[in-house]
Amino acid sequence: MSATTPPLLTVNGLTKRFGGLVAVKDIGFRIRPGEILGLIGPNGSGKSTVMKLVMGIEKPNAGTIELDGTDIAGWPTHRIARHGVGIVFQHSRPLHRQTVLENIKLALLPDSLFKLAAEPHVEKRARAIAERVGLADVIDRRPATLPFADLRRLEMAKALARNPKVVLVDEPFAGLTAAEVATFSALIDGFRNEGRAVLLVDHNVKSVAALVDRVLAMYLGEHIAEGSADEVMSNETVRRVYIGGAIETHPRKDLDQRGGESLLDVRDLEVFYGKAQALQKVSIHVRAGEFVSVVGLNGAGKTTLFNAISGLVPYTGEIRWDGAALAGRTPASIARGGIVQCPETRELFGTMSVRENLDLGGQHLPPAERDRQLAWLLELFPILKARAGQAAGTLSGGEQQMLAIARALMMQPRLLILDEPTLGLAPVILEQLSKALARLRETTPITVLLGEQNVTFALPHADRVYVVEHARVVWEGDPGRFAAEMGTGYL
Amino acid sequence: MLALQILIDGFAISALYGLGAIGFTLMFGVCGVLNLAHGGIMVIAGIIGWWAAANYGAGPYGGAAIGVLAGLVAAYVTYFAIIRPVQRSRAIPKEEEEIFVLTATLLWGIMLQVGLDYLFSNNPVTMRSMIPGVISLAGVRTPRNEILIAVVCWVVIGLLTLLVNRTRLGKQLLAASINPRALTLLGFELSRIYMVVWTIYGLLAGLAGVLLASFIGVSSANAGALTASAFTIVILGGLGSVPGSLIAAYVVGYAETITAYLIAPTLRPIPALLILVVVLYLRPQGLLGRR
Amino acid sequence: MLRSPLFWLLVPTLLLGATAPWWLGAYYLGIFTTAYYFGVFSMSWDLLFGYAGEVNFGPTFLIGLGAYGAGLLNNAGWPIPLCLAGGSIIAVIGGVALALPALRLRGPYFGLITLVAVLLLIDCIVIFAGVTGGEIGMMVPDVLSISATVNYWYAFGFLVVCGTILFILSRSSLGLILQATGQDRIEAAALGFNVTKHKLAAFCISALFSGLAGGMLVFYQGTASVDTVVDLSITVQIIIAVVFGGRRTILGGVLGSIFLILFDELLRPLGQLNTFVVSGIALLVVLLLPDGVLGYVLRPRASR
Repeated sequence: MSATTPPLLTVNGLTKRFGGLVAVKDIGFRIRPGEILGLIGPNGSGKSTVMKLVMGIEKPNAGTIELDGTDIAGWPTHRIARHGVGIVFQHSRPLHRQTVLENIKLALLPDSLFKLAAEPHVEKRARAIAERVGLADVIDRRPATLPFADLRRLEMAKALARNPKVVLVDEPFAGLTAAEVATFSALIDGFRNEGRAVLLVDHNVKSVAALVDRVLAMYLGEHIAEGSADEVMSNETVRRVYIGGAIETHPRKDLDQRGGESLLDVRDLEVFYGKAQALQKVSIHVRAGEFVSVVGLNGAGKTTLFNAISGLVPYTGEIRWDGAALAGRTPASIARGGIVQCPETRELFGTMSVRENLDLGGQHLPPAERDRQLAWLLELFPILKARAGQAAGTLSGGEQQMLAIARALMMQPRLLILDEPTLGLAPVILEQLSKALARLRETTPITVLLGEQNVTFALPHADRVYVVEHARVVWEGDPGRFAAEMGTGYL
Repeated sequence: MLALQILIDGFAISALYGLGAIGFTLMFGVCGVLNLAHGGIMVIAGIIGWWAAANYGAGPYGGAAIGVLAGLVAAYVTYFAIIRPVQRSRAIPKEEEEIFVLTATLLWGIMLQVGLDYLFSNNPVTMRSMIPGVISLAGVRTPRNEILIAVVCWVVIGLLTLLVNRTRLGKQLLAASINPRALTLLGFELSRIYMVVWTIYGLLAGLAGVLLASFIGVSSANAGALTASAFTIVILGGLGSVPGSLIAAYVVGYAETITAYLIAPTLRPIPALLILVVVLYLRPQGLLGRR
Repeated sequence: MLRSPLFWLLVPTLLLGATAPWWLGAYYLGIFTTAYYFGVFSMSWDLLFGYAGEVNFGPTFLIGLGAYGAGLLNNAGWPIPLCLAGGSIIAVIGGVALALPALRLRGPYFGLITLVAVLLLIDCIVIFAGVTGGEIGMMVPDVLSISATVNYWYAFGFLVVCGTILFILSRSSLGLILQATGQDRIEAAALGFNVTKHKLAAFCISALFSGLAGGMLVFYQGTASVDTVVDLSITVQIIIAVVFGGRRTILGGVLGSIFLILFDELLRPLGQLNTFVVSGIALLVVLLLPDGVLGYVLRPRASR
């Protein structure tokens, strides 16, 4: 396909606000027929919103979306679909009482009230599509009996059935094995030869690098880089967003001598979401007083690991806390037992004040202890003192994160689990947060398990590091060795 | 004169509506349960209270206490025998839980109504006034009992407001209605919070039933209408909003009283429904609803 | 078709139903006649709930419009077939007037607005008592027949015709699209289906059959009254029948209706407790077999 071919999809000045939050700010890109564009960004960067805006699931506040010369911005979803845009959703919800064939036939039906039976050629086309995506053998089965990869194939088949000019694919490889990734790559590559324009939305460049012609990277709703996969991967801004700046490490050597018993011991942990495997034989341990960082890209399995420890998702394998198994205990009792999680979604009580949020965290403590803890935390996070009477939902992102951490600390945890505290925060806020963590580490004997994508944020405080990739722990060791052994391959 | 009469009568009946509805709205706000057996629970409290007072010499106050207790027991049975099995069933998909809770409580409400009908017939029963006599308020003859009922309603509503806004338990309830997952992460057992809410709910529904029996009387045939009226008020005020429900209770109470006095008693329920239709179209989340 | 368990359930059931006048007394024929009309109410409701995913708390708004519409036209001197047609047209018009704005609302609010519509209809009937007969009800000059057997045939034929049409619709392309919109409206829209259009169509079909069945019931009973065609207890009965029989099966509603009405009759010796027992059994089914009786029998086996 030559560079002079007019683009099939042209997006200009796309902007979307949710209340006061600007989720997408002045985004523009073009995709020519037969071209594959990767749209990447960490969680909360606005990439999924861009996809929804193109599909008409959300209405843009400003900007144009031209498909073959027609501006489709703001159209209802079904018209956009009829005009030639197809989407492969990440989470499939097929019709459970129908067979695979019937599910594909559904996508081939016209939007008409008066067609009672499908036309004869529909059956033939449905079978052809099933053949192409590799569902021919299971065509008469019901979705509930299919393995995860086949459900993704079914989503692919439904999108293909419309013969779309533009295909949007949300996290094409999430939850797939290496062999399955290869077949799906071949399928998506097939779109190229048919002259379709493809937009792949994913967390990181690495997973889509082999497939895409160009990559556009977003962060906090804004365009930060564009170019070939290699160019974007080596782009300074992109590296800062994903890895941060230069990596510093300060492991505390004396800790190794203290060594001894593990406070938390996770062995052979496996978690499934439906049919997708989210964790595979994961084993980690944390000793008392240690600061352990688990690094990995979004979607690698960090949050799942923490949720399993907190008792929020069912698992197999063993999690031992202070020598006793945690299985069978409620999430609340695990939290009271000393493992307090500060989740990536922060989970504040939005309409309650900052002070009320903190008080709820301290309700289990005796009054004198509570007051002391509160005073200490307000000193650690002075901004919370100034905002004490304000509703938590009205705080800025950085302030909300500090409140979430402070609220977790009000419980006087023996182990604090911090999941992705840097999510969606500007660099200057990260610095403040980093200083607070440093003080926490120096002044208290607290044990911390930190999950991060941003390596520069995660490493300076860490005594030990685990790297999680595709549901598995792939590396474990000293932060000092991380830069040498993992630094380049991480992104 | 008539205006004053409307003002006084409307005030008492609205206070009672408010009391009946806040338990219902609290239940939805914290537990996400719309309990269609609500009227049945109120009627149980009223009838048992009357029965204890009339046949076993419990006296008006003892009868009232026994009635409230009966309401509480009925609420617990509803929770343990109906709601929890639905919520814990693996065969019911989460997105369909709502319709199953509605269907199951509906059936349970019918069972309560028919059971009461069988045991006590459907004749309306009226509890003896707690304080007899009539006083004149600015020239309007008003039964003392009516004043007592309005006072009791407002004292209880006031206590509940204090509980929610000023106590540690209240903060937990409030927090559970905003973000139950976060509350779990802070070490609070949701099952305990739900028990607290069902207790408060049972006491409120029981008290509302007893006061209703002492004010205008109850019969098993009222169960459906009482559920519908609580439902109307709660929707009008905004699902889950306690102040909204109180405002809505007064809107409905006065709209009914004014219609009954000035137009015709038979048209009593119409204006509330019309207001509800307009509000649902213009502001589907209700007067003070969140969403 | 021959492999389907539904087929093997249906054939003997239809045979039993068709031969009933030869082995059942007039009393029980009457009970089944009523149950069949309720079966059509339930099937219409299941099309909306089980397929389009909308919880309509106001089926009796549609039934009542059809019933009172037909009754009023009959009182104006129209012959029965025209009254039935007129009544169902009124039900469809009323249904569209209700659904157009109501479908903008999501989740429980759709249910609530439909519930309010019923309450308003009841009040209108009471207020305009001069025309509608108010709480006493409205007599109609004509009836379908005075013979229990003939009335049974009418109801049975009507049930079979409506059941066939609704069942075919549910298995047609339209039914497939409706299920997609009911399950996930965003995904359905992304496949190019106008979700509102299809849901409105489902509402109209539901209104048409509900209204028609309401009219038939009036000309069977000879009266239209709030208690028999509009009251919320009818809504309750319809919902319970569908959940009991099995939602998303269309035919399950018929099974549920027959169960509710027949057992209410059979347990009459228990006095007022009969409703208690029937509701209790239905409650147990809801709690223990959430897919309903027919849903349980027809559930897909593990392999297929």
